[in-house]
Amino acid sequence: MADADVSLPPLHSPVAMETDLGPPQVSRVLQMPSHVIDPEVALKACQEVLLKVRLQNQDPDQNQDPDQNQDFSESSQDFVQDYPDSLQDQTQQQQQNHSDLNPDSDQDTDQTLDSTDPEPSLEPSLEPSPDCSKTSERSEQTLDSTDPEQSPEDSLECAQTSERSDQTSEHSERSDQTSERSECPDQTSERSDQTSERSERPDQTSERSERPDQTSERSERPDQTSERSERPDQTSERPDSRGARWPIAEVVVEEEEESVQSSKQSWLLRLFESKLFDVSMAISYLYKSKEPGVQAYIGNRLFSFPDADAEFYLPQLLSMYVHMDAEVGDAIRPYLLHRCRGSITFSLLSAWLLGAYSSDMHISTQRHSRGTKLRRLILSEELKPNNHNSNHNNHHHHHGNSHSSHHGNNHGCSHDTGQTHVNKPTQTQAEPSLTFCKPGPGPGPGPGSGPGPGPGPGAGDELFLASPSRRTHQRSKSDACTATSVHGAALRRSGSNPRVEHLHEEPERLRPQREFVKSLLCIGKRLATLPTKEQKTQRLISELSLLNHKLPARVWLPTADHQHHVVRVPNTQAVVLNSKDKAPYIIYVEVLECESFETSPVPVRIPETRIRTARSAENLDCGSVGGASVGGSSETGGGASVMTSEHRAGSFSTVQNYDNDDEAWATDDIGQLQVEGEGQTSSSDNISQFSVDSITSLESKEPVFIAAGDIRRRLSENLAHTPTTFRRDPEDPSAVALKEPWQEKVRRIREGSPYGHLPNWRLLSVIVKCGDDLRQELLAYQVLKQLQSIWQQERVPLWIKPYKIVVMSSDSGMIEPVLNAVSLHQFTTEAFLSAQRNFVQSCAGYSLICYLLQVKDRHIIHIDFGFILSSSPRNLGFETSAFKLTSEFVDVMGGLDGDMFIYYKMLMLQGLIAARKHMEKVLQIVEIMQQGSHLPCFHGSSTIRGLKERFHMSLTEEQLQGLVEQLVDGSMRSITTKLYDSFQYVTNGIM
Amino acid sequence: MSQVEKKAGLLRRTSSSKKPLKEKVVLMYDEIFAKEDPAKNNPRFWDELFLMKVNLEYLESKLESVDGEEVQRIQDNINALFHHCVQALAEEHQIKVVNALQTLCALFRGVHQKNKSASGFDIINMLMGFDKAEQRMKDLMERLDSLLCGEGSESLKSLCLKLLLCLVTVTDNISQNTILEYVMINSIFEAILQILSDASSRGQHGYDAVVLLALLVNYRKYESVNPYIVKLSIVDDEPTLDGMGMVLHQALTEYNRQYKDKEEENQGGFFSTLTSMVGNMFIADAEEKLSVQTNEAILLALYEAVHLNRNFIAVLAQSHPELDMAATSTTPTSTTPTTPLGTTPPALDMMNNPELPLDPNLQTSNLLITFLKYASIVMQDTKDEHRLNSAKLCLIILTCIAEDQYADAFLHDDNMNFRVTLHRMPMRHRKKTIDKNVPSRPLVCAVLDLMVEFIVTHMMKDFPMDLYLRCVQIIHKLLCYQKKCRIRLHYTWRELWSALINLLKFLLSNETTLLAKHNIFQLALLVVNLFNMFITYGDTFLPTSNSYDELYYEIVRMHQVFDNLYCMVLRVSTNTGQWKEPASKVTHALVNIRAIINHFNPKIESYAAVNHISQLSEEQVLEVVRSNYDTLTLKLQDGLDQFERYSEQPKEAAFFKELVRSISLNVRKNVSLNTLSQDILLKEFSTIS
Repeated sequence: MADADVSLPPLHSPVAMETDLGPPQVSRVLQMPSHVIDPEVALKACQEVLLKVRLQNQDPDQNQDPDQNQDFSESSQDFVQDYPDSLQDQTQQQQQNHSDLNPDSDQDTDQTLDSTDPEPSLEPSLEPSPDCSKTSERSEQTLDSTDPEQSPEDSLECAQTSERSDQTSEHSERSDQTSERSECPDQTSERSDQTSERSERPDQTSERSERPDQTSERSERPDQTSERSERPDQTSERPDSRGARWPIAEVVVEEEEESVQSSKQSWLLRLFESKLFDVSMAISYLYKSKEPGVQAYIGNRLFSFPDADAEFYLPQLLSMYVHMDAEVGDAIRPYLLHRCRGSITFSLLSAWLLGAYSSDMHISTQRHSRGTKLRRLILSEELKPNNHNSNHNNHHHHHGNSHSSHHGNNHGCSHDTGQTHVNKPTQTQAEPSLTFCKPGPGPGPGPGSGPGPGPGPGAGDELFLASPSRRTHQRSKSDACTATSVHGAALRRSGSNPRVEHLHEEPERLRPQREFVKSLLCIGKRLATLPTKEQKTQRLISELSLLNHKLPARVWLPTADHQHHVVRVPNTQAVVLNSKDKAPYIIYVEVLECESFETSPVPVRIPETRIRTARSAENLDCGSVGGASVGGSSETGGGASVMTSEHRAGSFSTVQNYDNDDEAWATDDIGQLQVEGEGQTSSSDNISQFSVDSITSLESKEPVFIAAGDIRRRLSENLAHTPTTFRRDPEDPSAVALKEPWQEKVRRIREGSPYGHLPNWRLLSVIVKCGDDLRQELLAYQVLKQLQSIWQQERVPLWIKPYKIVVMSSDSGMIEPVLNAVSLHQFTTEAFLSAQRNFVQSCAGYSLICYLLQVKDRHIIHIDFGFILSSSPRNLGFETSAFKLTSEFVDVMGGLDGDMFIYYKMLMLQGLIAARKHMEKVLQIVEIMQQGSHLPCFHGSSTIRGLKERFHMSLTEEQLQGLVEQLVDGSMRSITTKLYDSFQYVTNGIM
Repeated sequence: MSQVEKKAGLLRRTSSSKKPLKEKVVLMYDEIFAKEDPAKNNPRFWDELFLMKVNLEYLESKLESVDGEEVQRIQDNINALFHHCVQALAEEHQIKVVNALQTLCALFRGVHQKNKSASGFDIINMLMGFDKAEQRMKDLMERLDSLLCGEGSESLKSLCLKLLLCLVTVTDNISQNTILEYVMINSIFEAILQILSDASSRGQHGYDAVVLLALLVNYRKYESVNPYIVKLSIVDDEPTLDGMGMVLHQALTEYNRQYKDKEEENQGGFFSTLTSMVGNMFIADAEEKLSVQTNEAILLALYEAVHLNRNFIAVLAQSHPELDMAATSTTPTSTTPTTPLGTTPPALDMMNNPELPLDPNLQTSNLLITFLKYASIVMQDTKDEHRLNSAKLCLIILTCIAEDQYADAFLHDDNMNFRVTLHRMPMRHRKKTIDKNVPSRPLVCAVLDLMVEFIVTHMMKDFPMDLYLRCVQIIHKLLCYQKKCRIRLHYTWRELWSALINLLKFLLSNETTLLAKHNIFQLALLVVNLFNMFITYGDTFLPTSNSYDELYYEIVRMHQVFDNLYCMVLRVSTNTGQWKEPASKVTHALVNIRAIINHFNPKIESYAAVNHISQLSEEQVLEVVRSNYDTLTLKLQDGLDQFERYSEQPKEAAFFKELVRSISLNVRKNVSLNTLSQDILLKEFSTIS
């Protein structure tokens, strides 16, 4: 973790917080039915839940309730006092809500699911929860668009499928199934276990934190139900640990180790076929199962998952592909090839990762390894999508997919389905590939760009959503703009402009992006050779300006989420980050968002200077009104005045489209022309009259007097208030560049960009790292992401912001920097107070992560956030310590006895409980990556065990609470002792 | 016998007068200058002619010797020659093309040399015939265009450009060259642009192309519609503009390098030590030796680009690592399908080069920096007329730049810091130290440095008033931008203030001599108004509050100069005379400065008296200044932040006419016959087909 200071996320910002809290509301609606499931329990729980509920709800409420915000803002004291009251109110309200829950949730479920009749309460164990319906919805969308055709067969074959296909109609059927399943009694008993457990809880304080878990757990019950049905022997386990599906895996492995029994296989199959079978499970089975049939099945099954879900596990998939048996590789390969065909992004990500993960192998084996070969195949561009496949093939393919998955079934798990589609060879997964692929880059340079770089006004307008000429600001320059483009097109001989010719050729698929990334990385390497930071920065800027020549292009930033084309690198904004020998640097990149970067036409280049008049005099605040008007006209006239009116006339006649494009010639231009017309005559200089002569001409007027003292005072005041007055240090330009508030930077760069007026313009940033192995960071990112989603799912309001890592090779990559959504200047007392909660939430989140991942580098909190806080009124010393609670941290939380501090500890507990419930999901990520890896984080043999131990599966919740207290205590102690490792459970951690 | 033969052989070479020994081609020329149609007896005459090596001298002298009556007689044949030349340009056989190009060149030259007094129409008639002229020229231009844009030999392209340069410069005054009217109608602008946009052709022909363009733009600039002006002003293709920028950049860099080499040569030995000891006399000599012929043509091209094309401004700031720019392709991604972003990233070879240029001065550069360095060299010595013109043009270009919003934006961009080492004139009172530790600053600092440097170094008897005016105006324009955009530049304004005050001092002390030639009040007014800008609007652009105090300190310290100036302008304005009006403007402009002086001087004196200090320290004075602002009232002067925008016409028209004339002469001289009759070229083509 050499560079953890940049690679790990910051504590969250309040702004982000608000947005983050939106979704839970929705999910709550979906989860309500779990209360309905057993009203008794719900009612019983009402009282005990009070505290928990209030904790759950305070965030959304706080953000929704302006009054409360005001309370917070009034003063910290008030805040502390008000807080419990307000919470109380909320709680009461919540209680109210709670009692109303049944009808409400009934309604809700009615909307989503047609089966919320009285039956559920009678058959709690089989209640299809909304969660389930959600899953089914999703899987239907992605996997089974052809379901109608498919499901009847399924329903005949396997109960699970039928369950999925139509819930309402099969209620009766299901009860049959239930009776068929011998596990039913177990479930009920388990249920009662739970109930009794719950009834125990009210007196526990730790309960608060558990409530959300439980609700969500209940909402997940369908999972459990279905799983339980397959493993009666597991019921004795604690419910918490049971939440995950992993035990099944063990069972399966065991079973397979024995001999394959059809009945057990069918459970497995049912599981596989169920909608609950998600990517995470698939990956886990793929990794753990030694049965080629299972592997092959899962390999097929991968096709059915949403692309994004599967993509999350790309490092794992590829690592398995590179380092595991041939069977696993063969199972994954079709899916990888399919996705590579479909997506340039996927292809490149795969190629990069394959390179990176192969690098640990011995050099001799590396060349012939599977990973290297696949990489070569991907990069060879042979995996082009077939453009001739049209939509109706799409349909077919889905079909094919589901078929083939069944085929896989037969292959691996066979038997009870007894159905074979002979006409669908196993190959289908690889061949039909084209389903998801977009039309491909072929038609890419679409009609818009056809006319070449100087399209007529019409074409140009279509290309960009907003026509430059329609913008008022552009008015003044429109003379040049339209004239230029029209003229340019007219002037350009078809042969002489290679661009025009080229548009008809199909660009190589991966080339542009590869070259783009290569250029960026090469810049990094070259920078490393320069001695001083100033030289590095200067070189960086000039190198980027060369790169700029080649933009816009069909290239994108791999760290970004949205589809876009990179159009410009504001090269002067780039900054070399502090580092001695290596030269990581941050660049800002202007992009235009688009539908699909592969198929949307690449934006047309707009010359740098085109922006100029847009920010001419009218945008700059001029001293005097008179000055403004004169300045304005002179500004806009500037470019044009070079031509005499005769010349102008000449140019008009050559500009054919002039007449059609009335709009381009706004009044100011015409006015300008007139001015210029007069300009031919002697006293033309309307401006010069204003300049020197003005003194005499104005003499007659009343003189205006100003006090010298005022000027001097204004100067000092302005200096004090201008944020940009801190002087740029040429030795360390990054400091200023990074301190600038993000919004400010965006505004500034947007103003200065010729593309800035486009509505789909965005500013992104990326840190390019050369000479650093980011694979470990990528792993950390995945773990953080997983924990984040677990906490989201379990509705624990822990806030973390993992930020994207893209590994390009074993010693290079890109990082998405976290932007300081909150600036220093916004960070007033008010904001600070409202940020307190967010602070606590993210602090707890990162504390947990630090603990779980044993982050030794204390820079887990990103510098961005670090300096936000360090320049806050309280001057928190973030950069010097991480999880370790400094006294400032504690101060912010209102002291050791403060509500916030208790909240902090509670959050940690909640988070830990949630995390351990899904421990396998986290462990899996790390475990798979350990394969064949030489990463330092895997040094020693006990990495996984150590990680597992830190989840403390064996502890009761009370014990867990004790552990949290201990952890916090330990870190408190480190404030004074400065000892880092005061944790009891320090082992060889992974970070 | 053998002796005679030898003699004959010798004679053959030296004299073409002996008929039997004439070259074949000469004989053929003679046939053309005979009455009869040369093709009458020999139908393949023209074919054969273009297979012969051209004898330019003979052809030209022949044309020259033709007198009025003969013209009538042989006009048809010359027309035919011209016609066939044009046709031969389309030949596949490259030798014919080469010969045709050279013949055309000779035709244009010869005709003009002959008909110095004749009108353009006569020339057109003689070469092409009135009725066919339009068609002939259209054909010619089209052929040239396709040759320039085609895939053909580079030497051929080069020859085409030479022909065009030759055609453009046949007259001293480009606007009198009536043939160019056809070049206006049949534009080769696009061909020139294409040459500039392509990296390899730019490397070989960029210079000629740029010079040609600069000249064409100046054809009847002020009288008629020049399509080249129109077209140049709207070019927005960045690779092309960048290409143009690179050609200019390279030419200027080359000049700077040559200068530096010479300078080092001179500094090297005993001589330099001697100069520093003996003084100015020798330095002047050394300077003479240092002078490298300025490159007015390139400067003119830069001017036209900056002045006409608003997109070109961006090119000025286009920074490149100082590498061989010709090697790196600037073609946009989409142009080369195989290497959209260049397979070898730019400067990859630099990586392999063990000796990476780590000299901070060599790190990054851009056209503007190179231009500033060039200007600093050119401005050193303005005695020579060429240099004076060059310096003037440099200042005009800087004026255009300073007026441009976009240029101002990047000049003041805090993220674009450079170390710009300007060349400084060695002077008696200061050592010529090459300041290696120039801080890295926004580019505008370099511009200001250059202006200050000019102000300080040109206070001489032969006062370059015009240059001074421009210089001060440039500063004013930059200040206006800073004021408007509230940019607080961290610049040592003190140097500027003291330079300006010294300038005023110089004007005062040389009042009588200067007034004989110049309106010194105009300059004085501009200078005083610069101070007024600082005084009235200092709050909007000064970098520190201290700097405002320092301004007052400087004014008070040098109050004698301002007092004297006031006395002088008051005296002149009370007299009747041509200077009454301008002088009175200066008196009005001085109101605030005088108020400051009158306000603070007594305060400082009393402070000294009260504290019994004879000589106040700077800090003490500043303290007095600080504590006495509030009792000082200033008058708000209007229009301080307004300026007269640069316009070429009518003020500069004469200058540019002269400049273009001088460039034309120069180019004509350089497009010598030698470069045209390239043996290499013929060798190259003799192997082809």
